[in-house]
Amino acid sequence: MHELIEKLIARLPLDFRVLYRQFLLRVIDLEALSIQGDVPAFIGQFAGVLIMLSLIHATVTYLGYTFITEPAERFAFLWHMQHYLIATMMLVVGMFAVLSWDATFPDKRDVMVLSPLPVAARTILIAKVSANAAVLGLAILTLNVASGVVMPLIMGAQPGPALGPFQSLPAWCFSIVAAGLFLYGSVLTVQGFTALLLPRRMFLRLSAVLQLAAFGLFLCVYFVQPSITTAAAMAAPENQWVLACSPSYWFWGMFNQLNGSLPPQFAWIALRAWMGLALAIAGAASSLLLCYLHTMKRTVEEPDLVPGGGLRWMPSFGSTLQTAVAHFSIRSLARSRQHRVAFAFYLAFVLGIALSLLRAEVAAAAPRPLSMDFLIPTFLMMFFAVVGLRNVFSLPVSLTANWVLRTAQIRPSQDYVAATRRSLQLLAVVPAWLISAALAFGFRSVSQVAAHLAVLALFGTILVELCLVGFYKVPFTCSYLPGKTNIQFAFWGFVVVLIVVLVPCAEFEMRALNQADRYGFMFSLLVGLAAGLFAYNDHQAKSAVIYFEEAPDELITTLGLSA
Amino acid sequence: MLELRHVSKRFSGIAAVDDVSFSARPGEVTGYLGPNGSGKSTTMKMITGLIEASAGHIFFEGKPVQDDLLVYKRRMGYVPEEPYLYTHLSGTEYLTMVAQLRDLPARRSAERIDSMLRLFSLHDDRHASISGYSKGMRQKVLIIAALMHNPQAILLDEPFSGLDVASSLVLRNLIQELAARGKVVLFSSHELDTVERICSRVVILHHGKVVADDSIASLRSLMELPTLEQIFSQLAVEQDTASIARQIADLIYA
Repeated sequence: MHELIEKLIARLPLDFRVLYRQFLLRVIDLEALSIQGDVPAFIGQFAGVLIMLSLIHATVTYLGYTFITEPAERFAFLWHMQHYLIATMMLVVGMFAVLSWDATFPDKRDVMVLSPLPVAARTILIAKVSANAAVLGLAILTLNVASGVVMPLIMGAQPGPALGPFQSLPAWCFSIVAAGLFLYGSVLTVQGFTALLLPRRMFLRLSAVLQLAAFGLFLCVYFVQPSITTAAAMAAPENQWVLACSPSYWFWGMFNQLNGSLPPQFAWIALRAWMGLALAIAGAASSLLLCYLHTMKRTVEEPDLVPGGGLRWMPSFGSTLQTAVAHFSIRSLARSRQHRVAFAFYLAFVLGIALSLLRAEVAAAAPRPLSMDFLIPTFLMMFFAVVGLRNVFSLPVSLTANWVLRTAQIRPSQDYVAATRRSLQLLAVVPAWLISAALAFGFRSVSQVAAHLAVLALFGTILVELCLVGFYKVPFTCSYLPGKTNIQFAFWGFVVVLIVVLVPCAEFEMRALNQADRYGFMFSLLVGLAAGLFAYNDHQAKSAVIYFEEAPDELITTLGLSA
Repeated sequence: MLELRHVSKRFSGIAAVDDVSFSARPGEVTGYLGPNGSGKSTTMKMITGLIEASAGHIFFEGKPVQDDLLVYKRRMGYVPEEPYLYTHLSGTEYLTMVAQLRDLPARRSAERIDSMLRLFSLHDDRHASISGYSKGMRQKVLIIAALMHNPQAILLDEPFSGLDVASSLVLRNLIQELAARGKVVLFSSHELDTVERICSRVVILHHGKVVADDSIASLRSLMELPTLEQIFSQLAVEQDTASIARQIADLIYA
């Protein structure tokens, strides 16, 4: 088998194989890793996370199927899981499409390097598409490696499909691949036609906005759309717009149609999936072809120097160092694709929570008494903003350019930690607090709202101090070693802890808001905690070294037993 | 005065710089020469504090720089060999950030940056992203960043790289002018003609060791060779360059 694959690969043209390998490695942004970055290991880790997710999905599906014995409930559960799995798969594909935003179309580097070489444009196109398809295929495969087998096997055992699992399995495989192709194709279509229709300079600016918009849209749809799990709910008039607008329900319909389990009155949902798939494939194919015929030329002709736009003046944010670090952070977030997308991931949570709060505000006719419905979302927003920004700060923007910070390091290390603190406060605590304050207009009493906002500000301050423990770095300047990306796992660990402690804490605060002495005690405790953490970080920072490269652990550890 | 005493740097046991000692005095331009891989840039990085020496000491105005690195960095300007910059910033933004990092007064540094951008013919493109700058434009940004805080020690590693003729002439005169005003200038380059014109003394490095440290005039008379290029070839070039060129040509035609 291995020899057969080797032979087949050897029959491909050499220039295609060389380009395919190059493009495959470039789908992952190496700048995020340290110099010793190992792309295959990185892809392996990523695949591992998806396989783990697939195993969890499969286990939940199987356990739910086993423990729910009532037929109607069981069917509703399976419908819910089908939709959830398809929606999750589409979210992963959407994330991939956003993260590899510019990877499918030729950039200036490709054109400048490859144009003088005797390589046909079609070879570049096919190599690029193949490289992206390979990573996309890997993502789809790993995410469905267990759940993609368990779900069709269970569905095949249900009344409905004529051929049992033999019909369900291919139906499921086809539907999830179709859903992935639809989403990826739609993104390529929008990108390709925008590139064709707009002047290149304008396209480059709009492309960044489109990328963020797509990211926010995918996350918001995933988290905000309701779960419709019964035939009665599907027929309800208030849910028709969800079914008509949500592609994950379209492909749920496609699977059930292929499986023979779709009630005939919902055939129109599946029809949308077929139409959407055809349009996305046709749109992606035509935009790719047109781009390679037209855009490559335009890329060469574009001027090297693009006049800068946007805001040129920015206010001072404290000392010159604090201002320098804050300006650098703002500009890196605004202009670096990688950082913008990473931060957008966390901002999408903030935005989703804010939107659901706003929806409740609009629905409420009159001001309501302050409740847990407001306290918990505001704490969550603050958490996602602060911890999310702290995570994004860990991604370097340009390791090779860090020499300037090191040669211009003329102040003690605690000043740099203070500058990082200021940036976290400015870019995370202040916006999250302002959004919360703006959304508080529908709640009464005013004094209670003000008291909660004071607690929220302290919560943000404590989070910032917790994020600074051991973080002796300037934002966006330090590399991390491959395999040390456990910050993402730490983030989700934090989320779990927060979920556990948040409800009792919010209940305590709710009671305290009605009792002055209890509130005073709680407030003093929080102030003490914030001050203690501040003092600890400041003290530690005095003896810390600001570091720019994460070094591997020593191979030999001295035990220090000798005198 | 900038002084290196028995400075060495080892990477995984291999000496990149081996027991190097020399001094660069105020008022003169000291050329630091050597073939690729001889340890010039490693020495420069040790002098700037980017990497630590494995052995030996570096002194500035009689004090070890490691004793108070922060104070030393205030008085040092450095142009690195490669024009690595934060390319998502514009020229003005980058220079303003460096000024802020160096704690320069805002208004004065803004005026100085603006004037220097004009003098280096970068003013029209000051708001464009550095990612679009040519190599020469990036080099100019590095030079301005290294000089705008009026450093006492100026370390220049291939500062002419990518510069056009006019800018090269400006920089050549600038280096001499700064030295004449009492700065310590350590200048590393492969352009031996330029070195010969502007340097009072040269230090030649070969395989990480100093093989010559004297004024150009003394070296000429000692070695009885008329040009710095011939002196350098004799001291630091082991290959028969004409023969290698012939072999390459033969390969192309093979």
